[in-house]
Amino acid sequence: MSHETSGRPPAGGQEIIHHVPRRVKRGRPRPRLSLNATAMIDVVFLLLVYFLVATNFRMGEEVYRLDLPERGAAVEADPFQLDESPLRVRVISTGEQRGTYRLSLEEPFPTPASFDDLFHFLQQRQRTPGSGGGLFTPDHPIIIDPSPQTRWEHAMGAFNAAARARYTNITFSEGGSG
Amino acid sequence: MSQVFKRGSAAVESNLTPMIDVTFLLIIFFVLVSRIVDIERVDLALPQPEDPASMKVGDEPRAVINIMPGPDGGAEAYRLGTRSYAPDEAGLEAMVGRLAEQYRANPDLHVTLRADHRTEYRAIAPAMQAVSRAASRSGRDDALARLNLAIMRDERGGGGAP
Repeated sequence: MSHETSGRPPAGGQEIIHHVPRRVKRGRPRPRLSLNATAMIDVVFLLLVYFLVATNFRMGEEVYRLDLPERGAAVEADPFQLDESPLRVRVISTGEQRGTYRLSLEEPFPTPASFDDLFHFLQQRQRTPGSGGGLFTPDHPIIIDPSPQTRWEHAMGAFNAAARARYTNITFSEGGSG
Repeated sequence: MSQVFKRGSAAVESNLTPMIDVTFLLIIFFVLVSRIVDIERVDLALPQPEDPASMKVGDEPRAVINIMPGPDGGAEAYRLGTRSYAPDEAGLEAMVGRLAEQYRANPDLHVTLRADHRTEYRAIAPAMQAVSRAASRSGRDDALARLNLAIMRDERGGGGAP
Protein backbone atom coordinates (compact mmCIF):
# COMPACT_ATOMS: atom_id res chain seq x y z
CA MET A 1 0.00 0.00 0.00
CA SER A 2 1.37 3.37 -0.99
CA HIS A 3 0.73 6.71 0.67
CA GLU A 4 1.90 8.69 -2.29
CA THR A 5 -0.72 10.66 -4.17
CA SER A 6 -0.57 12.37 -7.51
CA GLY A 7 -0.60 16.15 -7.70
CA ARG A 8 -3.75 16.24 -9.81
CA PRO A 9 -7.20 16.47 -8.22
CA PRO A 10 -9.40 13.49 -8.86
CA ALA A 11 -12.16 13.53 -11.36
CA GLY A 12 -14.91 14.28 -8.80
CA GLY A 13 -13.19 17.50 -7.70
CA GLN A 14 -12.88 16.40 -4.02
CA GLU A 15 -9.85 17.53 -2.05
CA ILE A 16 -7.50 14.79 -0.95
CA ILE A 17 -6.24 14.82 2.65
CA HIS A 18 -2.64 13.79 2.64
CA HIS A 19 -1.73 11.18 5.19
CA VAL A 20 1.70 11.53 6.86
CA PRO A 21 3.13 8.08 7.37
CA ARG A 22 4.40 7.03 10.85
CA ARG A 23 7.86 6.43 9.59
CA VAL A 24 8.20 10.13 8.98
CA LYS A 25 6.97 11.00 12.50
CA ARG A 26 9.45 8.59 14.11
CA GLY A 27 12.35 10.34 12.52
CA ARG A 28 11.79 13.54 14.48
CA PRO A 29 13.87 14.00 17.66
CA ARG A 30 11.68 13.45 20.73
CA PRO A 31 12.22 15.23 24.06
CA ARG A 32 14.10 12.82 26.40
CA LEU A 33 12.40 12.07 29.74
CA SER A 34 14.81 11.45 32.57
CA LEU A 35 14.26 10.91 36.29
CA ASN A 36 16.74 12.26 38.80
CA ALA A 37 17.03 9.37 41.22
CA THR A 38 19.69 10.91 43.48
CA ALA A 39 17.29 12.30 46.08
CA MET A 40 15.37 9.05 46.23
CA ILE A 41 18.54 7.02 46.70
CA ASP A 42 19.60 9.38 49.49
CA VAL A 43 16.35 8.83 51.36
CA VAL A 44 16.41 5.09 50.74
CA PHE A 45 19.92 4.76 52.12
CA LEU A 46 19.03 6.86 55.15
CA LEU A 47 16.10 4.51 55.87
CA LEU A 48 18.33 1.49 55.39
CA VAL A 49 20.96 2.80 57.79
CA TYR A 50 18.26 3.69 60.33
CA PHE A 51 16.78 0.18 60.34
CA LEU A 52 20.19 -1.45 60.50
CA VAL A 53 21.14 0.62 63.54
CA ALA A 54 17.74 0.27 65.24
CA THR A 55 17.86 -3.51 64.85
CA ASN A 56 21.31 -3.72 66.40
CA PHE A 57 20.13 -1.95 69.57
CA ARG A 58 17.96 -4.92 70.52
CA MET A 59 20.59 -7.63 70.29
CA GLY A 60 21.42 -7.88 74.02
CA GLU A 61 18.40 -9.91 75.09
CA GLU A 62 19.09 -13.46 76.26
CA VAL A 63 17.20 -16.18 78.12
CA TYR A 64 17.52 -18.81 80.84
CA ARG A 65 15.93 -22.16 80.13
CA LEU A 66 13.56 -23.45 82.79
CA ASP A 67 11.40 -26.58 82.59
CA LEU A 68 8.37 -26.29 84.81
CA PRO A 69 6.81 -29.37 86.42
CA GLU A 70 3.43 -30.20 84.96
CA ARG A 71 0.57 -29.36 87.26
CA GLY A 72 -1.93 -32.10 87.68
CA ALA A 73 0.12 -34.65 85.77
CA ALA A 74 0.66 -37.99 87.46
CA VAL A 75 4.28 -38.57 88.44
CA GLU A 76 5.54 -42.10 88.53
CA ALA A 77 7.92 -42.51 91.45
CA ASP A 78 11.11 -44.46 91.01
CA PRO A 79 11.44 -46.77 94.07
CA PHE A 80 15.23 -46.85 93.72
CA GLN A 81 15.63 -43.11 93.53
CA LEU A 82 17.04 -41.58 96.70
CA ASP A 83 14.98 -38.76 98.02
CA GLU A 84 17.01 -35.60 97.46
CA SER A 85 15.64 -32.79 99.52
CA PRO A 86 15.91 -29.62 97.45
CA LEU A 87 18.06 -26.71 98.45
CA ARG A 88 15.76 -23.77 99.02
CA VAL A 89 17.16 -20.28 98.41
CA ARG A 90 15.00 -17.55 99.92
CA VAL A 91 15.20 -14.08 98.38
CA ILE A 92 13.67 -10.95 99.87
CA SER A 93 13.87 -7.44 98.48
CA THR A 94 14.62 -4.90 101.18
CA GLY A 95 14.56 -1.79 99.03
CA GLU A 96 14.12 -0.45 95.57
CA GLN A 97 17.76 -0.50 94.53
CA ARG A 98 19.70 -3.15 92.69
CA GLY A 99 21.74 -4.19 95.72
CA THR A 100 18.97 -4.12 98.33
CA TYR A 101 18.08 -7.76 98.92
CA ARG A 102 18.55 -10.48 101.51
CA LEU A 103 19.32 -14.13 100.83
CA SER A 104 18.97 -17.09 103.16
CA LEU A 105 19.42 -20.84 102.99
CA GLU A 106 18.02 -23.54 105.21
CA GLU A 107 20.00 -24.68 108.25
CA PRO A 108 22.85 -25.63 108.59
CA PHE A 109 24.07 -23.66 105.60
CA PRO A 110 25.49 -20.17 106.06
CA THR A 111 23.62 -17.10 104.92
CA PRO A 112 25.10 -15.70 101.71
CA ALA A 113 25.62 -11.95 101.78
CA SER A 114 25.31 -11.47 98.03
CA PHE A 115 24.58 -13.29 94.78
CA ASP A 116 28.32 -13.70 94.35
CA ASP A 117 28.53 -15.37 97.79
CA LEU A 118 25.70 -17.69 96.81
CA PHE A 119 27.49 -18.56 93.59
CA HIS A 120 30.73 -19.42 95.44
CA PHE A 121 28.83 -21.47 98.05
CA LEU A 122 27.05 -23.49 95.36
CA GLN A 123 30.18 -23.92 93.30
CA GLN A 124 32.31 -25.14 96.21
CA ARG A 125 29.72 -27.67 97.33
CA GLN A 126 29.11 -29.17 93.93
CA ARG A 127 30.14 -32.76 93.47
CA THR A 128 32.00 -33.07 90.19
CA PRO A 129 33.03 -36.38 88.56
CA GLY A 130 36.77 -35.82 89.14
CA SER A 131 36.64 -34.64 92.74
CA GLY A 132 35.83 -36.77 95.76
CA GLY A 133 34.19 -34.09 97.89
CA GLY A 134 31.11 -32.00 97.32
CA LEU A 135 27.61 -32.17 98.64
CA PHE A 136 25.34 -31.54 95.71
CA THR A 137 25.32 -33.16 92.28
CA PRO A 138 24.89 -30.80 89.32
CA ASP A 139 21.27 -31.96 88.97
CA HIS A 140 20.49 -31.46 92.65
CA PRO A 141 17.13 -29.65 92.86
CA ILE A 142 17.46 -25.99 93.77
CA ILE A 143 14.33 -23.98 94.44
CA ILE A 144 14.52 -20.21 94.23
CA ASP A 145 11.93 -19.03 96.73
CA PRO A 146 11.20 -15.32 96.41
CA SER A 147 8.65 -13.68 98.70
CA PRO A 148 5.57 -12.26 96.92
CA GLN A 149 7.07 -8.76 97.24
CA THR A 150 10.49 -9.71 95.88
CA ARG A 151 11.46 -7.73 92.81
CA TRP A 152 12.01 -9.78 89.66
CA GLU A 153 15.62 -8.57 89.28
CA HIS A 154 16.50 -10.01 92.71
CA ALA A 155 14.77 -13.32 91.99
CA MET A 156 16.67 -13.50 88.70
CA GLY A 157 19.92 -12.63 90.48
CA ALA A 158 19.55 -15.71 92.69
CA PHE A 159 18.58 -17.84 89.69
CA ASN A 160 21.63 -16.59 87.82
CA ALA A 161 23.95 -17.47 90.73
CA ALA A 162 22.76 -21.09 90.61
CA ALA A 163 22.95 -21.19 86.81
CA ARG A 164 26.48 -19.76 86.88
CA ALA A 165 27.50 -22.55 89.27
CA ARG A 166 26.33 -25.00 86.56
CA TYR A 167 23.34 -26.49 88.35
CA THR A 168 20.80 -27.85 85.92
CA ASN A 169 17.70 -28.45 88.04
CA ILE A 170 16.68 -24.96 89.15
CA THR A 171 13.05 -23.96 89.59
CA PHE A 172 11.00 -21.24 91.23
CA SER A 173 8.64 -21.82 94.12
CA GLU A 174 4.99 -21.70 93.08
CA GLY A 175 3.50 -18.94 95.09
CA GLY A 176 6.42 -17.36 96.85
CA SER A 177 7.11 -17.71 100.55
CA GLY A 178 5.34 -15.33 102.84
CA MET B 1 39.05 12.32 13.53
CA SER B 2 36.46 14.99 12.94
CA GLN B 3 33.75 12.34 13.27
CA VAL B 4 35.04 11.42 16.73
CA PHE B 5 34.91 14.99 18.00
CA LYS B 6 31.43 15.46 16.63
CA ARG B 7 30.17 12.63 18.78
CA GLY B 8 31.51 14.29 21.95
CA SER B 9 32.88 12.57 25.03
CA ALA B 10 31.40 9.19 25.97
CA ALA B 11 28.83 9.45 28.78
CA VAL B 12 29.50 7.04 31.67
CA GLU B 13 26.18 5.82 32.99
CA SER B 14 25.43 3.17 35.58
CA ASN B 15 22.17 1.31 35.67
CA LEU B 16 20.78 2.05 39.11
CA THR B 17 17.67 -0.09 38.82
CA PRO B 18 19.04 -3.32 40.38
CA MET B 19 20.62 -1.39 43.25
CA ILE B 20 17.37 0.40 44.04
CA ASP B 21 15.51 -2.93 43.82
CA VAL B 22 17.87 -4.58 46.30
CA THR B 23 17.83 -1.57 48.64
CA PHE B 24 14.05 -1.49 48.73
CA LEU B 25 13.95 -5.22 49.42
CA LEU B 26 16.33 -4.71 52.36
CA ILE B 27 14.20 -1.88 53.72
CA ILE B 28 11.02 -3.93 53.48
CA PHE B 29 12.80 -6.81 55.24
CA PHE B 30 13.99 -4.61 58.11
CA VAL B 31 10.61 -2.88 58.46
CA LEU B 32 8.82 -6.23 58.69
CA VAL B 33 11.37 -7.73 61.11
CA SER B 34 11.28 -4.71 63.38
CA ARG B 35 7.46 -4.75 63.42
CA ILE B 36 7.38 -8.45 64.31
CA VAL B 37 10.00 -7.88 66.99
CA ASP B 38 8.02 -4.90 68.36
CA ILE B 39 4.89 -7.03 68.72
CA GLU B 40 6.77 -9.63 70.77
CA ARG B 41 9.20 -7.39 72.56
CA VAL B 42 7.35 -4.75 74.45
CA ASP B 43 9.62 -2.03 75.75
CA LEU B 44 10.44 -3.32 79.26
CA ALA B 45 13.45 -2.76 81.50
CA LEU B 46 14.46 -6.40 81.86
CA PRO B 47 16.66 -7.58 84.76
CA GLN B 48 20.40 -7.29 84.14
CA PRO B 49 22.16 -9.79 86.42
CA GLU B 50 25.92 -9.54 86.74
CA ASP B 51 27.91 -12.19 84.87
CA PRO B 52 24.81 -13.78 83.38
CA ALA B 53 24.92 -17.49 82.56
CA SER B 54 22.16 -17.03 80.02
CA MET B 55 22.06 -18.16 76.42
CA LYS B 56 20.90 -16.81 73.08
CA VAL B 57 17.32 -17.37 72.05
CA GLY B 58 17.10 -20.52 69.92
CA ASP B 59 15.19 -21.15 66.72
CA GLU B 60 12.53 -23.25 68.42
CA PRO B 61 8.85 -22.26 68.06
CA ARG B 62 7.99 -19.83 70.79
CA ALA B 63 5.28 -17.72 72.32
CA VAL B 64 6.07 -14.58 74.29
CA ILE B 65 4.29 -13.47 77.46
CA ASN B 66 5.01 -9.86 78.38
CA ILE B 67 4.07 -8.88 81.92
CA MET B 68 3.08 -5.25 81.64
CA PRO B 69 4.19 -3.45 84.81
CA GLY B 70 1.49 -1.88 86.91
CA PRO B 71 1.58 0.35 89.96
CA ASP B 72 3.22 -0.86 93.18
CA GLY B 73 5.14 -3.68 91.52
CA GLY B 74 2.03 -5.51 90.30
CA ALA B 75 0.99 -6.42 86.78
CA GLU B 76 -1.26 -4.21 84.69
CA ALA B 77 -1.85 -6.96 82.13
CA TYR B 78 -0.39 -10.14 80.68
CA ARG B 79 0.20 -9.87 76.97
CA LEU B 80 0.43 -13.01 74.87
CA GLY B 81 1.32 -12.03 71.31
CA THR B 82 -0.98 -9.13 70.48
CA ARG B 83 -3.69 -9.99 73.02
CA SER B 84 -3.81 -8.57 76.52
CA TYR B 85 -5.30 -10.40 79.49
CA ALA B 86 -6.35 -8.90 82.79
CA PRO B 87 -4.27 -9.98 85.80
CA ASP B 88 -7.22 -11.71 87.48
CA GLU B 89 -8.53 -15.26 87.53
CA ALA B 90 -10.71 -14.81 84.42
CA GLY B 91 -7.90 -13.19 82.44
CA LEU B 92 -5.42 -15.89 83.39
CA GLU B 93 -7.94 -18.59 82.51
CA ALA B 94 -8.41 -17.05 79.06
CA MET B 95 -4.64 -16.93 78.59
CA VAL B 96 -4.30 -20.58 79.65
CA GLY B 97 -6.92 -21.52 77.01
CA ARG B 98 -5.09 -19.61 74.29
CA LEU B 99 -1.72 -21.10 75.27
CA ALA B 100 -3.20 -24.61 75.41
CA GLU B 101 -4.33 -24.15 71.78
CA GLN B 102 -0.80 -23.23 70.82
CA TYR B 103 0.57 -26.26 72.68
CA ARG B 104 -1.89 -28.51 70.83
CA ALA B 105 -0.62 -27.13 67.51
CA ASN B 106 3.01 -27.16 68.59
CA PRO B 107 4.03 -29.35 71.53
CA ASP B 108 7.66 -28.13 71.25
CA LEU B 109 6.57 -24.61 72.11
CA HIS B 110 8.91 -22.56 74.33
CA VAL B 111 7.28 -19.73 76.22
CA THR B 112 9.44 -16.67 76.75
CA LEU B 113 8.56 -14.72 79.87
CA ARG B 114 9.48 -11.04 79.83
CA ALA B 115 9.01 -8.93 82.94
CA ASP B 116 10.23 -5.57 84.13
CA HIS B 117 12.99 -5.76 86.76
CA ARG B 118 10.77 -3.84 89.24
CA THR B 119 7.82 -6.21 88.92
CA GLU B 120 7.24 -8.22 92.09
CA TYR B 121 7.15 -12.00 92.16
CA ARG B 122 3.45 -12.07 93.13
CA ALA B 123 2.70 -10.85 89.57
CA ILE B 124 5.09 -13.27 87.88
CA ALA B 125 4.26 -16.56 89.63
CA PRO B 126 0.69 -16.66 88.17
CA ALA B 127 2.10 -16.37 84.63
CA MET B 128 4.47 -19.29 85.27
CA GLN B 129 1.62 -21.37 86.66
CA ALA B 130 -0.49 -20.47 83.62
CA VAL B 131 2.17 -21.90 81.30
CA SER B 132 2.32 -25.09 83.34
CA ARG B 133 -1.48 -25.42 83.34
CA ALA B 134 -1.66 -24.78 79.59
CA ALA B 135 0.83 -27.57 78.84
CA SER B 136 -1.21 -29.98 80.99
CA ARG B 137 -4.52 -28.87 79.48
CA SER B 138 -3.34 -29.27 75.89
CA GLY B 139 -3.97 -33.00 76.20
CA ARG B 140 -0.71 -33.85 74.47
CA ASP B 141 1.73 -36.06 76.34
CA ASP B 142 4.70 -34.54 74.53
CA ALA B 143 3.82 -30.96 75.49
CA LEU B 144 6.18 -29.79 78.23
CA ALA B 145 6.09 -26.45 80.00
CA ARG B 146 9.39 -25.06 78.74
CA LEU B 147 10.02 -21.55 79.88
CA ASN B 148 12.57 -18.99 78.74
CA LEU B 149 13.23 -16.23 81.26
CA ALA B 150 14.34 -13.13 79.42
CA ILE B 151 17.08 -10.85 80.72
CA MET B 152 19.14 -8.09 79.19
CA ARG B 153 22.82 -8.88 78.94
CA ASP B 154 24.73 -5.81 80.03
CA GLU B 155 27.69 -5.64 77.64
CA ARG B 156 29.35 -2.94 79.72
CA GLY B 157 29.65 -5.29 82.69
CA GLY B 158 27.24 -4.20 85.38
CA GLY B 159 25.60 -0.88 86.11
CA GLY B 160 22.13 -1.89 84.99
CA ALA B 161 18.81 -0.35 85.79
CA PRO B 162 18.53 1.22 89.25
